[in-house]
Amino acid sequence: MLRFPLPQVHHDYQSFAALARLYARTKDCFLERIEIDMSSATWFEADMCAALGAILYSLGQNLNTVELTNIAPRVWDILARNGFLSHYGRAKVPDRWGSTISYQRFDDRDDHFFARYIESQFIHRSEMPEMSSGLLKKFRESIFEIFSNAVWHSRTQLGIFSCGQLFPSKGLLNFTVADLGVGMRQNIQDFAGLDLAAEDAIVWATEENNTTRRGPIPGGLGLKLLREFIDLNGGCLQIVSDAGFWQTKDERVSTARLGHPFPGTVVYIGINTADLNSYSLTSELDPNEIF
Amino acid sequence: MKREMKISVYEVVGSPLCVASEDGQKVHDRLAAVIGAGHRAILSFHNVSTLTSAFLNAAIGQLYGPFSEEQIRCLLKVEEMAPEDAALLKRVVETAKLYFKDPQRFEQVVRETLEDEQDGA
Repeated sequence: MLRFPLPQVHHDYQSFAALARLYARTKDCFLERIEIDMSSATWFEADMCAALGAILYSLGQNLNTVELTNIAPRVWDILARNGFLSHYGRAKVPDRWGSTISYQRFDDRDDHFFARYIESQFIHRSEMPEMSSGLLKKFRESIFEIFSNAVWHSRTQLGIFSCGQLFPSKGLLNFTVADLGVGMRQNIQDFAGLDLAAEDAIVWATEENNTTRRGPIPGGLGLKLLREFIDLNGGCLQIVSDAGFWQTKDERVSTARLGHPFPGTVVYIGINTADLNSYSLTSELDPNEIF
Repeated sequence: MKREMKISVYEVVGSPLCVASEDGQKVHDRLAAVIGAGHRAILSFHNVSTLTSAFLNAAIGQLYGPFSEEQIRCLLKVEEMAPEDAALLKRVVETAKLYFKDPQRFEQVVRETLEDEQDGA
């Protein structure tokens, strides 16, 4: 059995770097038993199961058997309640606080299944923190934009992974979507002919009117809308793609390079649920001026 | 004689969640058929709760490939759309106009449309 340690996982550069390092060390394993030793992981942000799940799924594709060991009770509770551990031979425990948004994997053509998942996780449940209807609408739209972006740009065959967590007392809602696709750098190189560093590729993709789309359907708006919303909301948006790390928080963008590439793209949004912006337009747009 | 055809987005998609590009394509195909025949299309967003740019790009944005701005302005009208959704559509439209300003893209789309029509004939 091969053993690989996994440290604490938060929403930060170090945690993404650790996950990318785990992938780098395991990606060539084939028909192995792989132990992910979590004895040092005294905290694991629940929604980051999407990123870890993507990596472990890719290991499974190489016919490896993955086992998560030495999980601290607090982390066990988080990963069992959102269903993550049930993918690795453990029982799913009831979510007694009603604060998890369950871990799921989707195929790239599962748009409708994903829509039903979001509907059931966010719309018809009483545990949702108090949010204005405008904020909830913007939040749902943002999640769908992330999913659409993953479907269109990743060219993934291995699926899209999502997970979330509510923190009602902190007024925080975390949600992460990961894919095992080609990543932004490769996509921009293939379709826009630009050879950018991984972190610069994310900068390029989040700027208005930049798109890798070819063919009859235009694009190039989803990530910009997401960025605008998060900046207005006072939340946090992080994107990891290939070896690039990009973040906007308090309307400030920062970038960095990971030591190893992530095998696809991860998008994390942290929403400030106490946001009182209305998100409703006070003046109507003249329908004759749209076109 | 020009006719006025009403298309319900909710009816075409079958859900208030209009988020998938392939659902947008279904709406587009109906719009393109009506506008292509020189009729007026009224696109109703009654009962639609959630829209994405991906859906609107597929449904409406791609109309700016084969059709001129003038044709679309003259033959397409939207109704029962929330103001913030209309603002999103406006941005999608502006992005689409820019996208098709690239002559290479424009020629590619025209060529593909002609090929599709020849295949369908």
